Amino acid sequence: MIHLTNIHKTYNNGAPLHVLKGIDLDIAKGEFVSIMGASGSGKSTLLNILGILDNYDEGEYYLAGNLVRNLSESKSAEFRNKLIGFIFQSFNLISFKNAVENVALPLFYQGVSRKKRNIMAMEYLDKLGLKDWAQHMPSEMSGGQKQRVAIARALITQPQIILADEPTGALDSKTSVEVMDILKTLHKDDNMTIVVVTHESGVANETDKIIHIKDGLIGKITENYNHDFWKAASSK
Amino acid sequence: MFDTVIEIIGTLKRNKMRTALTGFAVSWGIFILIVLLGAGNGLMNAFSANQEGRAFNMVRVQPGWTTIEYLGLKEGRSIRFFENDMDFILSHYPSNVEEIGGEVYGGRGIISRGQNYTNTSLQGVSPIAKRMNGVKLKEGRFINETDAKERRKVVVISSEMVETLYPNGENPIGTFLQFDKIMWQVVGIYKSERSSGNERVYVPFQTYIAIYPSALENGGLQMVMSIKNLETEADHEAFEENLRKDLGMRRLFDKDDLSAMWVHNRLQNYMQMMNATGILNNAIWVIGILTLLGGVVGVSNIMLITVKERTKEFGIRKALGAKPRQILQLIIFESIAITTLFGYIGMFCGILLTESIANILEVQNAGAEHVSFANPTVELSTALAATLTLIIAGTLAGFVPAQKATKVKPIEAMRG
Ligand SMILES: Nc1ncnc2c1ncn2[C@@H]1O[C@H](COP(=O)(O)OP(=O)(O)O)[C@@H](O)[C@H]1O
Ligand SMILES: [Mg+2]
Repeated sequence: MIHLTNIHKTYNNGAPLHVLKGIDLDIAKGEFVSIMGASGSGKSTLLNILGILDNYDEGEYYLAGNLVRNLSESKSAEFRNKLIGFIFQSFNLISFKNAVENVALPLFYQGVSRKKRNIMAMEYLDKLGLKDWAQHMPSEMSGGQKQRVAIARALITQPQIILADEPTGALDSKTSVEVMDILKTLHKDDNMTIVVVTHESGVANETDKIIHIKDGLIGKITENYNHDFWKAASSK
Repeated sequence: MFDTVIEIIGTLKRNKMRTALTGFAVSWGIFILIVLLGAGNGLMNAFSANQEGRAFNMVRVQPGWTTIEYLGLKEGRSIRFFENDMDFILSHYPSNVEEIGGEVYGGRGIISRGQNYTNTSLQGVSPIAKRMNGVKLKEGRFINETDAKERRKVVVISSEMVETLYPNGENPIGTFLQFDKIMWQVVGIYKSERSSGNERVYVPFQTYIAIYPSALENGGLQMVMSIKNLETEADHEAFEENLRKDLGMRRLFDKDDLSAMWVHNRLQNYMQMMNATGILNNAIWVIGILTLLGGVVGVSNIMLITVKERTKEFGIRKALGAKPRQILQLIIFESIAITTLFGYIGMFCGILLTESIANILEVQNAGAEHVSFANPTVELSTALAATLTLIIAGTLAGFVPAQKATKVKPIEAMRG
């Protein structure tokens, strides 16, 4: 699904900052992985490149078989819309649109009819337990609810991959667990490919594979398939 | 496309304050422009309403009193003109004077037919008076040359008098009316202009003078002429100067003695007035366009702020799959929607105001001899053109910030 070889990224506004120094990474279809690392280690930079929200300077990136390099703005937008679902730390909902409208927005850019958009958005809100909140504005919702709206929005296009940057970073512990449970269910039931960026080991532990990033390079990769088993065992 | 429109309407509805502010700048600009243009037209229309039906190329020369000694003659003499002065002018200025006639203002009196009578004043005129006064005939004819030559006692009366003097519906043409013990035969009826009460009747001035020779002394015989080939202000001044010199020599007054004869040149006044209104009109356009420009600057300013404010929103939209072209389209269409809607509102209010004032004035001006403000309205095409200009300008104004917004990378936009 994702194939990175020798990805480099340097920020050049101000003093040049070499953030990614040759990332090699493969993520297969149906994997549920986390990218773990200290703050400032380049996790978000990497995720933005994976999400075609930013470009890279060197190396090669294939997303679902497509080479992602020197894409036009228009083409990147199309790829993002069709292949990727985003979940952000700060939700990034449009403040003057209610829940349904926010969820339906990606379909607007696919040219789906208004009626069909709204029906689908309602479906996804329902899946995430927000049926009654459909007409509410983001400002009227809790952080957990907002993130669930964002997840519905990420899912509505039935993307190939979900990219989540600190999805629980703005949430309390209880809702964090709820959000991670949603992602786990998506993975288990729908075989969704999910990449979660986090600096919290607790969050990373919920995923099947933990990719450590340090000094702009991939470090240790920990298989973590038995997390549910161990958790269940330790709580006994 | 339709979906995009709904998306835009949604955005405008949810951001009422911003929409209202932008809208106000637009509405106000159009409104002021239309009201100003209407005001300018009101002045112009009043001017032409006052001139309606009258010929412009008319000069009236009125005798006055001397204030300068001339060839040993004392000042304070009253000047008189005679019929032969008219012949002189006609033959002496063949390229500038088309037609000439005399006018005497007679006294008021009773004009009657049998038991029926009304008040009037006799005015001794020449055929040219028809053009001079914009007389519109309803029946019969106006005073003609034969009437003058033969000193006929014929009269042209007003249509309103007919109602008083001929209550039985008799045809007045050919009948006789009495004024000051003299019988006058009716040859024509003119349309009463405005119900101003005592209206004048027209008779040949030669007949009038033959009956009342003293008329030459009181007020005197005025001369009315139609002029031609006088194009410029300088032409008119030269013409008047020559007239003063020639008539001064014939009637013994100094050519520089301005009060010895009064010259009223309608064409010259008209030209001056047109000049003044032209300047006024230009000034109004300049002010209007500046106001409009203010609206455009307002729109572009708000667009600039809007785009900045919405950077994050555009970033999110892009992350979700909006292409740069779609973002550009969103902003431009919003700009067009605002300027069109509010431009229309401003236009509507402006037209509403000017039309209401026009209606009020129409009632007020009805029956007035002289109006100073009439029909202060703007052609719909002008209003539409102004609105369209603003819409186009508003769109262009939105274009620059929109272009900028589309260039920001989504990740940078979302951070902001
Ligand atoms: N747009 C940018 N311009 C310049 N420096 C940046 C930019 N984004 C991130 N950085 C820097 O790059 C480094 C990595 O950032 P980031 O990828 O956001 O780290 P993480 O998400 O792991 O905390 C940090 O030192 C950060 O300050
Ligand atoms: Mg980060």
